[in-house]
Parts: sequence; C-alpha cells; structure tokens
Amino acid sequence: MSKLLKSWQSFLLPVLFILIWELWAIKTNNPALVPRVEAVLYVIIQPFSELIGTGSLAWNTAVSLFRVIIGFSIAVIFCVPLGLWMGTSPTIHRLVNPLVEMFRPLCPIAWIPFAMAFFGTTRLPQLFGIRYTDTILDSVQIGMVFIIFWGGLFPILLNTIYGVNGVRSLWIETAQMLGASKRQIFHKVILPASLPAIVTGLRVGLGISWMVIIAAEMLPGSDSGIGYLIMYSYELAEMQILVACMVMIGLIGLVLNKGLEFISLRVSRWQSLER
Amino acid sequence: MNKLTLKGLGKVFNGEDGREIEALRDINVGARSGEFICIIGSTGCGKTTLLRLIAGLTPMSTGQVLLDDKLVENLNRDCTLVFQQLSLFPWFSVQGNIEFPLELKGVDKSEREARVKELLKMVGLEGVANSKPYELSGGMQQRIAIARALAYDPEILLMDEPFGALDEKTRQKLQNVLLEVWKKKKKTILFVTHNIDEAIVLADRIIVMAPEPGRIINDIEVTLPRKRDRLTNEFIKLHIEIRNLLEVSD
Repeated sequence: MSKLLKSWQSFLLPVLFILIWELWAIKTNNPALVPRVEAVLYVIIQPFSELIGTGSLAWNTAVSLFRVIIGFSIAVIFCVPLGLWMGTSPTIHRLVNPLVEMFRPLCPIAWIPFAMAFFGTTRLPQLFGIRYTDTILDSVQIGMVFIIFWGGLFPILLNTIYGVNGVRSLWIETAQMLGASKRQIFHKVILPASLPAIVTGLRVGLGISWMVIIAAEMLPGSDSGIGYLIMYSYELAEMQILVACMVMIGLIGLVLNKGLEFISLRVSRWQSLER
Repeated sequence: MNKLTLKGLGKVFNGEDGREIEALRDINVGARSGEFICIIGSTGCGKTTLLRLIAGLTPMSTGQVLLDDKLVENLNRDCTLVFQQLSLFPWFSVQGNIEFPLELKGVDKSEREARVKELLKMVGLEGVANSKPYELSGGMQQRIAIARALAYDPEILLMDEPFGALDEKTRQKLQNVLLEVWKKKKKTILFVTHNIDEAIVLADRIIVMAPEPGRIINDIEVTLPRKRDRLTNEFIKLHIEIRNLLEVSD
C-alpha cells in the first residue's frame, strides 16, 4: 500500500467526524446548542482576542498550564525522591506504604471541595505576604496547586517505586563486584535502570493533572483558566467558545503527552531493544 | 604461599518449608598466584554458590576465605565475578560499561579511553566502543564483560560459566581469547564450568565437585602442554577420567 494512502487512512475518520458535526449543526440550526465548525475555528484562530469579558483563549490556557506546571513540579520534586527512597529502603516502604494505600483509591477530584474549604482563594504570592504582583502568579490558587499535586502524586510515586523494584539484582551485584559503593550503585545503576518507569509515571501523572485542573477550574470560586472559560461560556450559551476550549484542552493534552512520550522513548530505548 | 585459600567453606540454605539444605560442605582449596583453576561438576553441586561465597555476595555458613593469608570479610573487593547471564548495563554504551570500574576509581577521562581501547583490543573487539550492548551478540557481550572485569583489575577473576550460553564455535574462540588474556595479565582465575573439554583446555588444575551436599571429590593437576589439542590421546584420556568421576558422583 502506498504511503500516501496510508496517511490518508489516519485522516479519514476525523475528517468524517467534523463533516458530520457540520451537517448536524446546519440541520439543528441552533448555535446555542450545536455551533458551526467555522464558528469554533473562528475562536481558535484568534486566540488573543478578548472573549466574553474573561480574557482571551490564550491567556486562560496559559493560566491553566501555569497552574499545572507549578503543581506538577511540586509533585515531581516530592514524589520521585520519596519513591526512590521507598523503593530502596524496605523500612521506609513499610512506614509510608499504608498511607499510600489509604489515599490512593481517593480520586483527586474528590479533594477539590476540601481544598476549596481549606485554602479558600489564597493565591501563591499571598503565601509570601504579597497581595498582588500583577503577573500570572496571581492566578495560581494554592487549592488548585494542591489538587494538581494529588493528581500527579500516585502515578509518579508508584511508578518510581515500581521502577526501583524492577532493577535486576544481577546489575546491582555486577556493580558491587566492580567496586561500586552503595552511593555509586544508586547513582549509576538504580537511577538509570528505573528512569524509564519514572518517566512513564511522569507521563501518566501529567495527563491526570491536566484533567484535574480543568475540573477544578469549573467549580464555583474560580475566576480564570480554560475550565472556567468553558463553564462561563456554557452559562452564556456561547457554544462556539465552549467547543473551542474543548479543542484546546485536547490539543494541549496531546502536546504534553507527545512531549513526554518523546523523552520516554529516548530514555527507555535500551529497555525495549534489550528484550 | 597461596594467593587464595578456602578453609572448610560450607553453606546451608534454609528452604521454604523450614528444611535445611546443605549446598556446600567442607571446601578446602589453595590457589597459587596466577593459577588457572577450573571447577567442574554437574548442575546443583554448588559451583555457583562457591563462587558467590568467595566473592562475598552470599554469606558463608562455616569456614574462611583468605587472600594472601588475610581473612576476607563481607564483599571481596580483590576479586570480581563474571556472571553466566549477560550482565552488561544496557543503558551504557560498551565504552561506558568497560570504564565503569575505572570511573568509580576516579581515573580521568583520557586515561579511561586509552584503557578501554587497549582492553577492547585484548578481547578482539576493536571499534565497538560506541555500540550499545543490545546491538551485540551474546558472545561479544560476554567478551565485553570480561574486558570490564579486567578494567577493574582484580587479583582474582571468578568466572561462572561465562561461555555457558554460547555455541561451541564461539565458545572455543572465547576460550582462546581468555587464555591470551590470562597469559598477559597473570591473573588467578577460578572458572566454573560443566563442560569437560573446556576445563581441560583452560585449566592448570581441575577441581571436580559432586552434589548433595556440594563437595570436592577430586583435584586434578593438568600437565598437558599448553595450546592443548582436543584430539590427542592424553586429552581424551583425561576427558574420560573426569567423565567417570562425574558419573560415579551422580
């Protein structure tokens, strides 16, 4: 089969989907229910224009992304070392694991009301005693960071532990036999050997964080972010904005996933080729 | 004076049902410096366990390991073990693998590169420094593992059936490579195998073991001149002698 035909096959169903959507929109003839494809596109191709008094699509996307980056970074900084520690020390594992098992079944979204009650609308700069910085930092509510942290927590932690446990004893003994100290074994064997699993954890965790932030932004008390924009355009029956936001969420999710997939393929090449 | 002395080594494992399994009983060996000793025995006679006790990877139940008449405790840093399984670190290149022990010792980069080059030449694998282990065949990987063990520059080289998984032709080629390396480096080698010909080709001395419990039943000095031909009468006679010993022990 020719290459051209093959690549066409991947486009066939998405194009068909958009076509059917458009026909459906024309037939319904109710933009407050089913927006036309070109109306959605019109919103997307000018991402910097002001929308329904809440800032632009680009701005709201940036706010959501920024919240995720902060919450996710904290999750990485906290979970990867803890996972490595739990993976290498049975004592730490015995101590911490019951807590992990206790909280793990709890969906991160279930934390949202708790976070709202607990943190209110406290923003990141306020933590440092600054009321207003006039930057994107003002849009980062502590409660949202907390929820994103929970979204990333378990995938990163559990995959890191899994990665460390998967390090073959043969490799550790080989390193011992070549004169490695405990510390050197950690740096030169355990860390590189568990890196593929850690990156998998990051990938899953980032995906969940991105979903959770949208949910958090939809709740009352939120005043910016793409999740907020969706809810607000729903209230105003601006369906073309609502769908444009959905497309945006999908696109960002795709880019995040592909980015980490790229890193993942690079660090785990040896793992896939070894078998 | 012996380089390596094993005094009354014994190992008892605790089985899962609480039963005690005696893997090794009263192993006494003295290895001279630069001596090539092969340990031969059928599967399950504790050959691998013996190497692991010497290396300090498995704690012994009884006995002592002495190096230059000094007691060895915990990990034996003066020896290195080449495993039967392919043990290269797959995330490092060949270069990264061989220089691993050098890097740990803090040898600087240019010196490391020179040493790796020299070692690759010694095992007959020039020009693969930048390859990844998974790009190489099993035989090549085992040669790299030997080069890496030599980079560590141990006093004693322990080898646990390193050619066990290879075909006969590759195996014979690597035996010759190993003999060349041994001649150049004058290492004391303890080489575990269950292949009689391999033992005769390589060894100054063959230690024959029997199972249940793992013990030494014979210690044979191989006096055949080096570059040993597998088809001479002496070779075949020795082969039959060892085979009979192994058969009786089963």
